[in-house]
Amino acid sequence: MMRLVWIGAVVVLVACAGVLGFRTTATDVFPHRKHVTAGVACTRCHVGVERGGEALHLPDDATCTTCHNPPHDSRPCLGCHAPADAIGRLVEARDHLKFDHARHLQGEAKGNCMRCHVGVADGDSAMRPVMATCFNCHAHDSGRDARTCSTCHKNLAEEGSMPRSHLAHEGDWIREHGTRAASSGDLCQTCHKESFCADCHGVTAPSIPAKRRFADPNAGNLHRAGFAARHSLEARAQPGACATCHQPDRCASCHIARGVAGDTAGNPHGAGWVGLTASENRHGREARRDPSACASCHGGAGEKLCVTCHAVGGVGGNPHPPGWSSRQPMTSMPCRMCHPIGAR
Amino acid sequence: MKLGALAVVLAGVSSATADPLRLRGDALATTTSPAGLLVLDGDGTLEDRVTAEAVVWMASQRSPGEDVTGDVLVIAIRARTRDGKRTVRVGRFVSSLGALRPLHLDGGSLRVRLPHEVEIEGVAGIPVVLGLGTGRAWDWVVGGRVARRIADTGSIGVAYEQRRDRGIRASEELGVDVGAELGKRTDAAARLAYDLLGEGIAEVGITASHRHGAVRGELYATQRSPSHLVPATSLFSVIGDVPAQRAGTVITWRAAPRLDVIADLACLRVDSDLAPDVTGRARLRLDDRAAGTVTGELRRSGVGADAWIGARLAARVPVARGVAISTELELVIPDEDRGRGAAWPWGLVAASWQRADWEAAIAVEASATPEYRQRLDALFQLSRRWSTK
Repeated sequence: MMRLVWIGAVVVLVACAGVLGFRTTATDVFPHRKHVTAGVACTRCHVGVERGGEALHLPDDATCTTCHNPPHDSRPCLGCHAPADAIGRLVEARDHLKFDHARHLQGEAKGNCMRCHVGVADGDSAMRPVMATCFNCHAHDSGRDARTCSTCHKNLAEEGSMPRSHLAHEGDWIREHGTRAASSGDLCQTCHKESFCADCHGVTAPSIPAKRRFADPNAGNLHRAGFAARHSLEARAQPGACATCHQPDRCASCHIARGVAGDTAGNPHGAGWVGLTASENRHGREARRDPSACASCHGGAGEKLCVTCHAVGGVGGNPHPPGWSSRQPMTSMPCRMCHPIGAR
Repeated sequence: MKLGALAVVLAGVSSATADPLRLRGDALATTTSPAGLLVLDGDGTLEDRVTAEAVVWMASQRSPGEDVTGDVLVIAIRARTRDGKRTVRVGRFVSSLGALRPLHLDGGSLRVRLPHEVEIEGVAGIPVVLGLGTGRAWDWVVGGRVARRIADTGSIGVAYEQRRDRGIRASEELGVDVGAELGKRTDAAARLAYDLLGEGIAEVGITASHRHGAVRGELYATQRSPSHLVPATSLFSVIGDVPAQRAGTVITWRAAPRLDVIADLACLRVDSDLAPDVTGRARLRLDDRAAGTVTGELRRSGVGADAWIGARLAARVPVARGVAISTELELVIPDEDRGRGAAWPWGLVAASWQRADWEAAIAVEASATPEYRQRLDALFQLSRRWSTK
């Protein structure tokens, strides 16, 4: 039985290999290394690359058939002999990078394409140099310090490249980003515009980001899908987390408008919320667990509800925990709500 | 007025600019509130040293609980010296001083890099309120941060911020942040915010990650004390300090070239209650550029009577050049019904189209929530981008 399961798993894996991105590269990849070792100059196929310009300088079928005549297949050469995303990546590079082959081929790299396209020696199909290769010649430390990415990148925000270094935005980045950004906030600004932060942390955000990107389920994962239904559960699981972006009065104003809070709302707390014995008095414990939840309905004028019992001399007693202290003057808010002038 | 503000900012960088000026307009219409929304986003750069950006929006009706139908999200000009050692920012923006919570304000900030890898930053302004509000007097915030790089592998910073609402101290916090690259594949960061008014820790976050081949592991822990996070002018800031904690690990595994598997295994502690917070997610890219994706997610979260389990399935499939169909389905089942419904399903089916500078999308959203037994909504979005080059 177990053997059958294993065989089935292997069959499924093989069947899904293409979908999962596994591919047999040997037959499709363009054999750069083979051409180079055969003494074919790069510019013989990549015609005009030394002149630079907007063209991608990919060889067309006519260029290939100057040697490979007749061709072994009637279909376009690059249809099989280029990785699926190769042309897309070249277009992406042309659109987003300030790079000119002509300028580079005037200097030390003249006649030595492999100085940058180091993958050729390995027969690798990914010919686009990685950023670290650029740094072999272009010392970048001063640029990194000054955050001048625009020397090479036209517009990082629009380019949307995700960093592949230790700044990788992986895992639960929404939770992680605050701690990471604390020590390198200005680095974030090399790629992200002001509005990127304000979309979530801004008081005047027009809507939650997910609402404006509803057609892309991978964008703006905070507050996506049925968040409106489960937001109260999420808020109670992580007391104070909402305060990272929202002022408490933001919650209260929406709750009052929707009739969840305010004069017209019913009491959602049920029996045992407020009473004379400890077992009937759940509200104190709940309030200490998550005072921001109380503020989300009773903020502002609603606070007076507490004061009716918890003012100095009131039946509610002292709401402060043992050892509690504050640097606020007694005449200030909220102290004076319960401590009339002169009372301690 | 808001359009005028946008025009003024863009006009400031419109002449002799080396980089293009960009403007984007997004119009969103829904059959529920807000029924119509127009967002205009413009930015431009002058000789790589001056950047201007503005985002303004207008809605056809008021959002629940708010009395504004339009506002400015961002309107800021940032300028820096050629060597990048001095940067000044004025306008409306989000300020983030190290370990302290981000704050949306109208004001200015200055950042200066000093010798010996020291950096200082100062910020001052008025906290943003909705509707270009000017009715609240004596609201202001001031703060600063001093940071120092430690060799090439880390930094440490100390920040201070004081905020006043109507002249009364609403918060006064001290923050410490640390970040370090502990090796080629290992890094860590931490932050701590201390409430100087209520005298207690407001928020702590620690994260450390290690990458090994196709696997990245992260250990993290957070602690928040909500009584220190609400403004000190609120009565709810005086009732004590019961921190809520969360600790766990996130394992990210690139199981196949196009398949990512993520497991988030955490434990929540709120007062004396302990509960698991577990998420498993798999994301399959249908092509090398991730134009098409399928994501599945299972989650168990919540504490005590507020615990719940949920499942989410999302897919985006390109069907023709520039055309994609997407869907997102979610089912949440709370442990306790309490008259809110035994299950809260939510679903959205959308079609999007993109060509040159135009984008359009249409969707139907259906849900059953504690608030609505059933709800059906239609959404439509049209976007257009303009650029001077």
